[in-house]
Amino acid sequence: MLPKRFDQARPFVTLGAILLLWLFLSLGIKTFTRATFFEIQAPMVLTDSYVQDLQTFWSNRLHSKDELLKAGRDVAGLIADYDFGVQQNKNLQAEILRLENMLNLPPMPAFRFEPARVASRDFSAWWNRMIIRKGENYGIAVGAPVVFAGGVVGRVTEVYRYTAVVDLITSPTFRIAASVSGDSRPMSYQGGLNYSFKSPHGTVENVPIDVVVSKSMPQHIVTSPLGGVFPPGLSIGEITSLEPSADGMFKIGEVALDERLGSLTEVTVLVPLNPDEL
Amino acid sequence: MPLIFRRADPRWLVVFLANLLLWSLLGTANHYLSRFSFLWIDYCSFHLSIGGLFVVYPALRLSSKHGWFAISLTGLMMDALEPVPFGTNMILLGLVYATLLYGRQRFPREGSIFGIVVALFSNLFLIICLTFMMIGASPRPAEAWMRVFGDLIASQLTILLITPWFLALQDRSMELFGIHPITGRRSAY
Repeated sequence: MLPKRFDQARPFVTLGAILLLWLFLSLGIKTFTRATFFEIQAPMVLTDSYVQDLQTFWSNRLHSKDELLKAGRDVAGLIADYDFGVQQNKNLQAEILRLENMLNLPPMPAFRFEPARVASRDFSAWWNRMIIRKGENYGIAVGAPVVFAGGVVGRVTEVYRYTAVVDLITSPTFRIAASVSGDSRPMSYQGGLNYSFKSPHGTVENVPIDVVVSKSMPQHIVTSPLGGVFPPGLSIGEITSLEPSADGMFKIGEVALDERLGSLTEVTVLVPLNPDEL
Repeated sequence: MPLIFRRADPRWLVVFLANLLLWSLLGTANHYLSRFSFLWIDYCSFHLSIGGLFVVYPALRLSSKHGWFAISLTGLMMDALEPVPFGTNMILLGLVYATLLYGRQRFPREGSIFGIVVALFSNLFLIICLTFMMIGASPRPAEAWMRVFGDLIASQLTILLITPWFLALQDRSMELFGIHPITGRRSAY
């Protein structure tokens, strides 16, 4: 029979044994276990998301015919606008191609647009992530940029069979090269200022000293050509305040992000046509 | 009851499945709490973290062997969905569980009042540990603490409300399987 003192300490001995076992367990087994536990929970996350879709469907069915007619008219106006935008886009693409050929420039990264429904959002002070309803089955790769109508959403960090995890632009772990719209000088953007009663903000560093902002005239920042996989010119947010950095050579400041990031239901994943670009 | 359940001892599985259910419901709640309007406040965002509740039943009412199984699996389940080093929640839950097991003989194990107290303190410990681990990534840690504080209050209030229900759910599940949580005897219920 074990001594009484050992019997009392047994829970901590067991914990120590588990900790030792865990430390010496190979990385491959841990990765496999993590993926397994994620995939076990994935159907629950997806089911929940499909139930929400069904709920939306039935609530939409309750709208009157007048409301549907009005919505149809609004949509027809939007379609006309988008048709014009598509035509302009085609002309601009042709112009870009012509300039690339004329100047012997390397081609811009090409992407396939993969729209995906948001299955689950997880916004805390520690991380901001979402799970989308597409994964390996749609060729989504780790590192792929994710965007929406308002600009950058984030970056794919984990890919599973039918789902993928996106690290949001509001997350403290998200960093990207940015520049003021119309100015090519790069600066560093980082997410992570999340409040309980205020829309999320990010921070910028290495802002050129001559950039000035005021409350009435915030500066719009976009992705920089140095932003890795992100195509240049995608909207990030607006710099609302700037102050000199500690060394006085640059400025640092706050960026107000799109409020809609907290309630997104649909995003687009930019899947590079050349996977080596990730 | 199927023969397989009559022979097997599924106490750890019952607790783990109950934890999985609550974890799933929590995910749904956090999905909707990521942005909502409340009264005159146009933008509200909260994140509920109630890991401390997963330890209460195994620590107070379950045999230690089955408790360790349930706690380890629950921790791994949490780790799979969170961007923390894999095993973090398992070890943190294990630490809380071991501490509670150490003093279990002196604790009142029936009723939900003490369960609520244990859940609140366990959760406080887990949130503080996770915050210290993750706060370094934030560009302004002092401001991040304000958000953590808001989330902590919301989480503790949630625990206060749902602990009696969750303990009853696990008790009823054990009854359904006709098994005593501590001894594992079939005749208990």
